[in-house]
Amino acid sequence: MLLRLALAGSRTDTVRVVLTGLSAALATLAILAALTVLAIPTVLDGGSNVSPQYRNPLIAEAGLRVGVAATLVLLTIPVLVLAGQCARLGAPARDRRLAAYRMAGAGPRQAVAIAATEAALASGLGALAGLGLHLVGRQLLGTPGADGKLALPTDVLPPVWQLAVVVAGVPVLAGLIAMLLLRRVVLTPYGVVRRVRTRPPRPWAGLLILGGLGTAALLPPLAQYLDRSGRSMPYELFGLVVLVAELAVTLGVIVGTGWISHVTGRLLHRFARRPAGLLAARRLTADPWTGSRTLAALLAAVLFGAFAAGLRIRMSTEFAAEAEYARRSAEVSGLPYEPWDTTFYQGAYDLVYLALTIALVIAAGGLLVALAESIVSRRRAMAALVATGVPRAVLGRALAWQTLTPAVAGIVLAAGTGITLQRGLYDREVSSGWGTVCREASPTDCVELPAVVRTVPLPLDDLAGFVGVALAVVLSLLLVNLLLLRTSTAVEELRAT
Amino acid sequence: MSFLGTRAAVRSYGPTPALRGVTVDVAEGEILAVTGPSGCGKSTLLHCLAGIMRVDAGEVFYRGRRIDTSSEGERARLRRTEFGVLFQFGQLVAELTAAENVALPLLLAGARRREARTAALAWLDRLGVADLADQHPGEMSGGQQQRCALARALVTEPRVLFADEPTGALDTLAGEQVLGHLVRLAREQRTTVVLVTHDARVAGYADREVTLRDGVLDPTGLGIAAVRR
Repeated sequence: MLLRLALAGSRTDTVRVVLTGLSAALATLAILAALTVLAIPTVLDGGSNVSPQYRNPLIAEAGLRVGVAATLVLLTIPVLVLAGQCARLGAPARDRRLAAYRMAGAGPRQAVAIAATEAALASGLGALAGLGLHLVGRQLLGTPGADGKLALPTDVLPPVWQLAVVVAGVPVLAGLIAMLLLRRVVLTPYGVVRRVRTRPPRPWAGLLILGGLGTAALLPPLAQYLDRSGRSMPYELFGLVVLVAELAVTLGVIVGTGWISHVTGRLLHRFARRPAGLLAARRLTADPWTGSRTLAALLAAVLFGAFAAGLRIRMSTEFAAEAEYARRSAEVSGLPYEPWDTTFYQGAYDLVYLALTIALVIAAGGLLVALAESIVSRRRAMAALVATGVPRAVLGRALAWQTLTPAVAGIVLAAGTGITLQRGLYDREVSSGWGTVCREASPTDCVELPAVVRTVPLPLDDLAGFVGVALAVVLSLLLVNLLLLRTSTAVEELRAT
Repeated sequence: MSFLGTRAAVRSYGPTPALRGVTVDVAEGEILAVTGPSGCGKSTLLHCLAGIMRVDAGEVFYRGRRIDTSSEGERARLRRTEFGVLFQFGQLVAELTAAENVALPLLLAGARRREARTAALAWLDRLGVADLADQHPGEMSGGQQQRCALARALVTEPRVLFADEPTGALDTLAGEQVLGHLVRLAREQRTTVVLVTHDARVAGYADREVTLRDGVLDPTGLGIAAVRR
C-alpha cells in the first residue's frame, strides 16, 4: 500500500521520480567507477607500481588511482544536489497529495514515510539501472585496442559486497535525504506548512572561510619549521589539513552566499528605484537561502576549479623552472639540451578540468530545476500581476536580479576563495636546480649554477574561464526560465490551484 | 457606443465554448454585476472586457476604441493606467509589504518611491488597514488582504474597476466590509465597476445585473439579486 501511495501522482510527480532515478543512476555509476579504480590490484613491475595493461597512465600508475577515485566520488556531490533539487519539483502538487493522505487518516510520520518511500524507490531503480549500465559498459568497452591495452579498467570488478552496499546504500541515503528535506514541513490534513527561518542569515560563514584559509596558511611555515629541524611533514597530515580547509571554505562559500543574498537584497531594497529591483530585493531578503541552496553545486565546482587552476599553473611554473635550469646546465656542460615531456601531467589536469566541466553541467541541471520550480510555485501571483498590467519585462528583470545577484557574488567569492586557499597551501615561488655543473670537455672546469627561481603567477586565464563558464551557465538557464515565465504568467494560471 | 462593452464576443478554451456571442454595455460610473452559475463564462467576460485575454470573435471596446485588436503591450498599459483589477485571492505579492504592494502600480507608472509610499499609505488608511502597512500578506487575515488588494486596484484612480468574485474567499462580515468600501469608493470617484459574482447578496450592491448562462446572456434579464428581492 505504501508503494501504491508513493507512486500515485501527476505528470510532474512522474518527472520528479524519473529525474530522481536518473540522479541515483549517475551517482551509482560514479561510485562504482571509483570502486573499480580502487579494485585494480597493485603490481610491482620493476620496482614501480604500474599496471601495464592500461593505456591511460592515470589508471596504470597505482599512486594516481586514489586521486582519480576521489575525483569520481566528488562528481557525486553535484549529482546528489541535483537529486535534492528534483525533490522540490512539483512540490505544491505533492504537498496537496500528502495533505489528502493526512485527511484520509494517515499520521504525520506515515505521510513522511510515503514521501521518503517515493524517493527511495526511484533511487533504488536508478541504482539498479546504474549497476546495469556499469556491467554492460564493462562488456562493451572491455576489448583491448590495437596496442593490446585497455582504455578503462574493465578487467576488474569491485567485490560483490561493495556492489551490494552501493546499490542498497544509494536508495537508503535518498530516503533519508527526503526525510531530512521534510524536517521543516508540517503535514496537516488541510495542507502543508513550511516552517520558514525568520532570523536573517548571520555572517558567521565568513569565519568558516577565514578559518579554512587560516588553517591552510599555517602549513607552509609549519613545513619550513619541520624542514629546519630535519624532519618533513607527514603526507597524511598535509592531506588531512587540505581536506579540512577545503571543506570549511566550501561550506563557508555556500552558506555565505545566503548571507550575501540577504545583504544585497537589503541594499537593493534601499537603493532600488524601479519595481523590478524592489521585487527582487524583497524576494532575496524573504528567502536568502534559495541562492545558496540552488547554487551550492555550481559554487563547489568553481571553488575546486579555481584550486585546480592554481595547482596547474604552479606545476607549469615548476616545469618551466626545471626546463630553464636544464637548459642553462646544458649550456655550461656542453651536453645537448633535451626538454622534458610534460604531456602526461598536462593531460592529467585536462582530465580534472573535464571532471569539473561535467560537475558544472550536472550542477546546471539542478539549477534549472530549482529556477523553474521557483517560477511555477509563484505562477498564480505572477499571472495576477500581469493581469493587473505589470509588464512581463518587469517580472523578467526581477527574476534576473534575483538570480544574478547571488550567482555573481557567489561565483566570484568561490573563485577567489579557491585560488586563495591554493596559494595559502603552497609556496608562491618555485625553484629548480642549484649545484655544480662541470663542462663535458674539461671535467675539472666546474661552475656553481644557481637555482632557477620563478614566481607562480595567478592563473587569470583559467580563473576567468571557470567564472565565465559558470556565469554563462547561469545566464543561459536564466534565459530558459524567462521563456518559462511567459507561459507561467498566462491568464489561465489565474484559475490554477 | 457605450463607455465599455462587447459586441457578439466569442471565446473558447479549446473545444469548450465560454462565451457564445455576448453583447453587453456598461455606462460610465455604473456598477454592473455579472452573475450566473459556475462555468457560465462570467470570469471570461470580465477578462475580455479588461483586456486580459482576447476574444476569438466579436469586439471589445472602451471609450469608443476597440481594445481587442490592441497589442499585449497596449492592453497592459491600459490595465496599468485606466483599469484596476481585483481577484478572489492570491494577487498580493507575498514578499512585499502591504504598502509596497499598493505602491507597485504607481512605481510602474514612474512615480518616485516616497510619493508612491505616501499615496499607498493614504489608500490603506481609507480602507482602514493603515496599521498593516509594513506587514506581509501572510501576516494578515483574508479580509485584510482583500482590502489591501482593493487599495492596490484603486491607487492609480482607475476609470474602471474589474472585480472577479472579490468576496468569494471571505466570511460574511469581511465580505460586507470589502464590498462596502468598494462601492463607497467607486461612488466617490465615479469609478465604473464590473463585478463578477455568483452571490445574490453581492450582486445586490450593483446598479444593474446581467446574467450569463452557458456563455450567453439570459434574455429574461432576471438576475439572482432581482430574484432575491
